[in-house]
Amino acid sequence: MLTWLPENISTFGNGVDHLFSLIYYITLAIFVLVNAVYVVFIIRYRRRRKSDKAFHYHGNNTLELAWTALPFALFAFLAFYSDGIWRDIKYSTHAPNPDYIVEVMGQTYMWHVRYPGSDGVLGHRDPALVAATNPFGIDPADPNGTDDYVAINQMHFPINKNVLVRLSSMDVIHSFFVPNLRIKQDAVPGQWVDVWFNGRKTGEYEIACAELCGSGHYLMRGVMTFQGQTDFDAWIDQQYLNAANAAAQKTAQALPASAPSPTTPSHP
Amino acid sequence: MDAALPHSHSGASEHAHRASFVRTYIFSTDHKMIAKQFMVTALVFLFIGGAFALFIRWQLAYPGTGIPLIGHLLPDTWVNPDGAIIPAFYTQLLTMHGTIMIFAVIIPLLVGMIGNFCIPLMIGADDMAFPTINMISFWMFPVAGAIMMAGFWVEGGTAAAGWTGYPPLSAIASTGQTLWIVGLFIVGFSSILGGLNYITTILNMRAPGMTFFRMPMTVWAVFITAIIIIIGTPVLAAALSMLFMDNFVHTSFFTPAHLVVPAKDMHLTAGGGQPLLWQHLFWFYSHPAVYIMILPGMGVVSDVLATFSRKPLFGYKAMIFAILAISFLGIIVWGHHMFQSGMNPMLGTTFMVATMVIAVPSAIKTFNWLGTMWRGQLDFTTPMLNATAFVSMFVIGGLSGIFMASTPVDVYIHDTYFIVGHIHYVLFGGSLFAIFAGLTYWWPKMTGKMMSETLGKWHFWVTFISFNGTFFPMHILGVGGMMRRIYDPTVYDFLKPFQPMNEFITINAMILGFAQFILVAALIHSIRKGKPAKRNPWRANSLEWEAPSPPPHGNFDHPLQVYRGPYEFSSPESVRDFLPQTTPPEDVKRHMAEHLERLKTAEAPQSDSTH
Repeated sequence: MLTWLPENISTFGNGVDHLFSLIYYITLAIFVLVNAVYVVFIIRYRRRRKSDKAFHYHGNNTLELAWTALPFALFAFLAFYSDGIWRDIKYSTHAPNPDYIVEVMGQTYMWHVRYPGSDGVLGHRDPALVAATNPFGIDPADPNGTDDYVAINQMHFPINKNVLVRLSSMDVIHSFFVPNLRIKQDAVPGQWVDVWFNGRKTGEYEIACAELCGSGHYLMRGVMTFQGQTDFDAWIDQQYLNAANAAAQKTAQALPASAPSPTTPSHP
Repeated sequence: MDAALPHSHSGASEHAHRASFVRTYIFSTDHKMIAKQFMVTALVFLFIGGAFALFIRWQLAYPGTGIPLIGHLLPDTWVNPDGAIIPAFYTQLLTMHGTIMIFAVIIPLLVGMIGNFCIPLMIGADDMAFPTINMISFWMFPVAGAIMMAGFWVEGGTAAAGWTGYPPLSAIASTGQTLWIVGLFIVGFSSILGGLNYITTILNMRAPGMTFFRMPMTVWAVFITAIIIIIGTPVLAAALSMLFMDNFVHTSFFTPAHLVVPAKDMHLTAGGGQPLLWQHLFWFYSHPAVYIMILPGMGVVSDVLATFSRKPLFGYKAMIFAILAISFLGIIVWGHHMFQSGMNPMLGTTFMVATMVIAVPSAIKTFNWLGTMWRGQLDFTTPMLNATAFVSMFVIGGLSGIFMASTPVDVYIHDTYFIVGHIHYVLFGGSLFAIFAGLTYWWPKMTGKMMSETLGKWHFWVTFISFNGTFFPMHILGVGGMMRRIYDPTVYDFLKPFQPMNEFITINAMILGFAQFILVAALIHSIRKGKPAKRNPWRANSLEWEAPSPPPHGNFDHPLQVYRGPYEFSSPESVRDFLPQTTPPEDVKRHMAEHLERLKTAEAPQSDSTH
């Protein structure tokens, strides 16, 4: 069963997978035990002679106590054990200091990703400025924001770095799901939620939307690429360069040039 | 009553007044007719909801391939020119499948049908406390169902935000969503009226001697279920009213400021709402609703298992306290649906602990069912087979719940097919098998006809095998990461290896769906050609078996006095292996003395002592 899990590449994913297999083996043992007893009863106590009476017995309080206390101890242990890992994944107080901070904004049916510009600072955003052409509501008056790089459905990170994703949505609820990172977090409009992870293996990994967001829900696919530090640096520099070129081109062109609309759903 | 039934003795008594066809079959106030009305209506919806599921399965196994035979007959707002379902219709289907199955099939069958039929008969009452309210409660249900179904024929189609209807998706939706809200509101109203009636009836109309701790588990379970309904449903009604206003006049209960929906060219500047508020309100009802959908089933299964094991229910009081514990804890675990919702993760810890604890009373119930069968004399009739399957499937559904209860594991499996597998093990493997058990168990009492054991067993085995073939592999899909509610899994590279499994599931789902026609065949066969049922065909103890089969309007033809609990099977004090609740103790003693006398005079002991 657990061999069907996609490869884990995140630091806390080991804890998740370990807990997963622990619960799997515990529940498997309970399942086999209960059903073995059950099948034995079904075969053994099947009526053989019409006149036979069953054993007249109303129950046993010691047994009741035992099968109340034992499951209680087991489930209390599981809750306690789970909570440690849960804190590490989701409590903001337990998240490590981030090496990279990016913002992700869900929109039907795509993920917008905002990287800070070469200044390393994400510019000020204003919810009132959010529009189809400006999904993050980047304030044009803030110079920190003018160099921010915004991509669609593509995320790149260096391996072995703590990444903090600030997650929100501009329209309906989406859910940011990266199976290989063992991370899932709903993106809720009007609310920013922090998600952190640390990927340990280079490669391309799929991002999916896990919360029904409309008829194109299944198309909300992104790709997260983990690279070595030098490759990542080269990639991000190239993006800055491209962005700068595009901006220069735009200013060079005549004023009525219309902005490219990012609203059409992008097919992978 | 029964102007149309051949066995009516309408001339014999002045009480047997003749009612018109309309009063007997349509606007009836007789709890048994209302139970039958719930049954027929809900079975119709079962086939509608099942058909939706098969459409969904077809698309998942063969994405973009035309539906065979009927694909070309469907309107072009549903299918493309090849006859394949389009994404917009797919989301409507999955929304309506969930909504119909929960609100128009499982709840009406368990609470409406079994609750209505069993409560007065099992506590020895002549009818419900409020027969007219009972009638109104039923008639709201087909009206609500029709309103929800009408969504398919309005502009933009029916609701498409999932059965959970999360805003903002459901708050910026089409007319179909509004019809869904109105339909749910009415069906909730129907539940509340039913619940009030059940509570009042059980509190006030028990036969002499029927103390609380002599009530059968089915009555206990429905009683506690009714209390949950009264607590939870008004909250759902409030949430639905807010969602209705959000859709109609943009009140922003659930939408934040500056909601920009490029897909709809919409920009809502007014705000102050919270999408999570809906989730809290919705699950405050809908998590207890999961127990509304399983507790009556547990009651039915307890009665059926005891009867066909010929043994007292193991730990009767422990079973009652377990149900009470489940219903109390069930009200405080709703947040486990929201671990990944953006809710404070500290609440995740709280709800995880409560959720883990609720597994304890479920375990208690399972062990007690095993205890009931231990050293029994098991008769594997159709109801018993279905009840036996319930226990085993409920164990799987309960154990898979542990995975989700554990918050870190839930991070991964939340909103995947693991959840879909889990909920179907609980609602189909649990609730529906309990419904099959209850339906086949009380069918002779309902109709006065026995059901074909051959057809019943065919239905059981085909259903049981294809059910597991359909829903077990879904856990594996979930471990693989396949998201719920996606139209085409092949879009994702990591899901492509699972396509053969999706095909396997679909083939099993087809068999499962068509197997339900065997049940219909069994019911029709029984009505037309079934052997007449005796008063007590299963040799059970509870009061409903004291009434004629089928019971007339007013139920019992003799006064009742209850002397003991409902599970005195195989008692050494009794000659027979059952001991009805109404047999006076002195009669039991006399029968035993006479029996011993006979044995003595006959000298050679006779093995067959039943008469």
